[in-house]
Amino acid sequence: MTKDLLLEINSVAKSYGPVVALKNANLSVRPGEIHALLGANGAGKSTLVKILTGVISSDTGYISLHGQKVQFSSPDDARKNGVAPVFQDPALIPDVSLQRNLALTGTNEKRFLKEIEAMGLSVNLNEIAANIELPTLRMIDLARALSHDPELLILDEITAALPIDLADKVIEIMNAQKEKGKSVIFISHRLAEIESICDWATVLRDGIDVDSFEANKQIEDRIVSAMLGEKNNVANATRRTKQSSQDTETLLEVVNLSGGKNLTDVSFEIKKGEVLGVAALEGQGQDFLFEILAGQSKPDSGEILVNGQKITFKHPADAIKLGISYVPGDRKSALMPQRSIRENLALTRFRGVRNWGRIKGKEENRTVDNAVASLEIDTRAKSQVKRLSGGNQQKVTIGRWVTTGFDLLLCFDPTRGIDVGTKQQIYELIRKFADEGKSVLLFTSELREIALTCDRAIVIYEGKVQANLEIEKCNEENLMNAAHGLVVSS
Amino acid sequence: MNLVQARRQSWNIGIVVLVLILGFWRINQLPQFGSYEARTFILGILPIALLSMGQAVIIIGGGINLAIGAEAVLINCLSAKYMAGTSFTTSVFLAFLFIGIGGLVGAITGWIVSASGIADIVVTLATSFLLVGVAMFVMPQPGGGINQGVADLIGGKDPNFIPPLIWLILPLLIIWIPLYRSRTGIAMYAIGSNKDAAFLSGVNVNRTRIKVYAVGGLFAGLSGVVLTGITLSASPFATISSTATLNSVAGAVLGGVSLAGGVGGLAGPAMAALVLYFIPNIMLASGIDPAYSQIITGALTIFVVLVGGLLRKRTGKT
Repeated sequence: MTKDLLLEINSVAKSYGPVVALKNANLSVRPGEIHALLGANGAGKSTLVKILTGVISSDTGYISLHGQKVQFSSPDDARKNGVAPVFQDPALIPDVSLQRNLALTGTNEKRFLKEIEAMGLSVNLNEIAANIELPTLRMIDLARALSHDPELLILDEITAALPIDLADKVIEIMNAQKEKGKSVIFISHRLAEIESICDWATVLRDGIDVDSFEANKQIEDRIVSAMLGEKNNVANATRRTKQSSQDTETLLEVVNLSGGKNLTDVSFEIKKGEVLGVAALEGQGQDFLFEILAGQSKPDSGEILVNGQKITFKHPADAIKLGISYVPGDRKSALMPQRSIRENLALTRFRGVRNWGRIKGKEENRTVDNAVASLEIDTRAKSQVKRLSGGNQQKVTIGRWVTTGFDLLLCFDPTRGIDVGTKQQIYELIRKFADEGKSVLLFTSELREIALTCDRAIVIYEGKVQANLEIEKCNEENLMNAAHGLVVSS
Repeated sequence: MNLVQARRQSWNIGIVVLVLILGFWRINQLPQFGSYEARTFILGILPIALLSMGQAVIIIGGGINLAIGAEAVLINCLSAKYMAGTSFTTSVFLAFLFIGIGGLVGAITGWIVSASGIADIVVTLATSFLLVGVAMFVMPQPGGGINQGVADLIGGKDPNFIPPLIWLILPLLIIWIPLYRSRTGIAMYAIGSNKDAAFLSGVNVNRTRIKVYAVGGLFAGLSGVVLTGITLSASPFATISSTATLNSVAGAVLGGVSLAGGVGGLAGPAMAALVLYFIPNIMLASGIDPAYSQIITGALTIFVVLVGGLLRKRTGKT
């Protein structure tokens, strides 16, 4: 054990029955260091964080803090010892007010409000947690962790669901912690963030720490190759260039659509075989736009035309009948977690079968097998979708539309919290759809993806289309400027 | 009260309005309304109101106790058997002892649920049979009694309605309010609302569940002792226990407690007991067949739950 380390994780392993989550993980964090913990989905990052914060206990190995061996019995215990985690799912009690949530964790209210104020947010302590939007909730969770003045802050994919402005705020906070001599373990799939702020990076693969190095510039390749191991053939994603798609027919046209809390006036069109990107900060009305197009919500005004025909949706089934399929950002709301991959994939196929008709087992098996093969879904845990990793779950939600067939796929942040390799597979899949003449509307919170997958992009700001950019103009800077309401020439 | 609180209180306000309407209706049916009638009202609802509150605590904590009626019947039988013919002090001592036993039975139930990992509904259905069996063993025939002084302390000397009113309000003041404000109280809501988040917030889920069942058991014990004080006897019948259990669930739900857990309070269920009491009495006094009163109670419960559900949908909370 080394004295000058804040945290040392030594040969930690954890198995759940026959499933090995962590084989042999080592991690050292110095005081005043921002340490990136990286790895593909299922590499063991979450398990390591859970062991470190006392959620679960390890089978072997030890953890030492300030050179002292520790074993936390619960997250509360970890928090008291200066290790404060912010988990992927906000750990606030949904039905209880913020004030009572703070009391539960013994958080000082004044201190908490000071942190919130420093973030430029304001909250009502009487508000029930369930009524607060997810990005704000994550910031609240972070403020709560900061109120405990942690020696080591653990941020598990906190920026994944955050709009750009709040993500920047989180980065400021991490730097402030560092200046105070405190440390941060930062888990993120956004390589740009890691390059810009982290001091050191450790990469996990298959439950082992395969690489650990100083995180200065130009480490992207090293990270990706460490993450992927031998499968390192997808690292070089190429930027798309313009293709001639001018003369194809328009599939969908949206005219002056408004509704919900934020959507004020949105018009655009998608051609057949086109991937249209949508970029926006959080809460600009994009989620409601997708809900309208999926038939889940009704607009206040405006028109939707499919193949030139004006249409209204009463139910998502109407949209599905017209060939419009929706892949929601929240995988949990799309899947039946206790059921098998097979059943989840086959669910939407039943629109072809009469409701009470017999399901043709053989044909179903064939289509499902095709989908599993073409999407490269990891089928080791096929009996229950909830046991799959996030990336594989996302593939299942997309895969069900592959088995059904569609004309327009609405993808809402499909790569959120997914590892680089799987992301690449999803980009390829989206391009393949376009090549087959299908259209895709893709909202993504990671602006880089637009240049990688789309033919064209619109940027929504305050419920209106702020910019309509051809692929050559879709660099991150332009998209970011438009997303902040600045004018970008198209 | 700010807007957030007002929205949260809307269910309680609704139930108060319903109680007032039904109360005026019922009072209008009576030739006169004085302390005698008030005492009748309160005595009519007291045991079931206490039981509803106990059930509410458990449902808020994410469980449900189908043995809560059986717990009350058992304590009713125990108290009526052993308090019969005793002195005032002995009866008071025994009352506390039996309420404590109620809490203990609840705690054991909660421990079984926690330790076994089996659904609350299965465990408590089994314990309900067990407890009624024990009750029949304690008191094979209806009967028993209680020291008259203690009975007066519980039910009040006719027409004094103050003592039973105190027994209705006192548990709210000395059990519920301190509990609600304590960390255990928050933990109770937390495990009912989201067990994983509760654990991550540092709550000991199993221990909290045992506490929740213990508090529910205390209310059931209190309900059993109060029943002895009011009826001066006990009856060891399974039908009484199952009806009481179902009414306790109805009272909790009508009182704004979400069956999904984590939502609600105890004042609502106490008032819901009044609603459940007024309806059949109003029907009976209007000369309507009692069968209809069952239908109307059921329909009203559905209606209230429906309105509540729609209100929550509109405020955006699912």
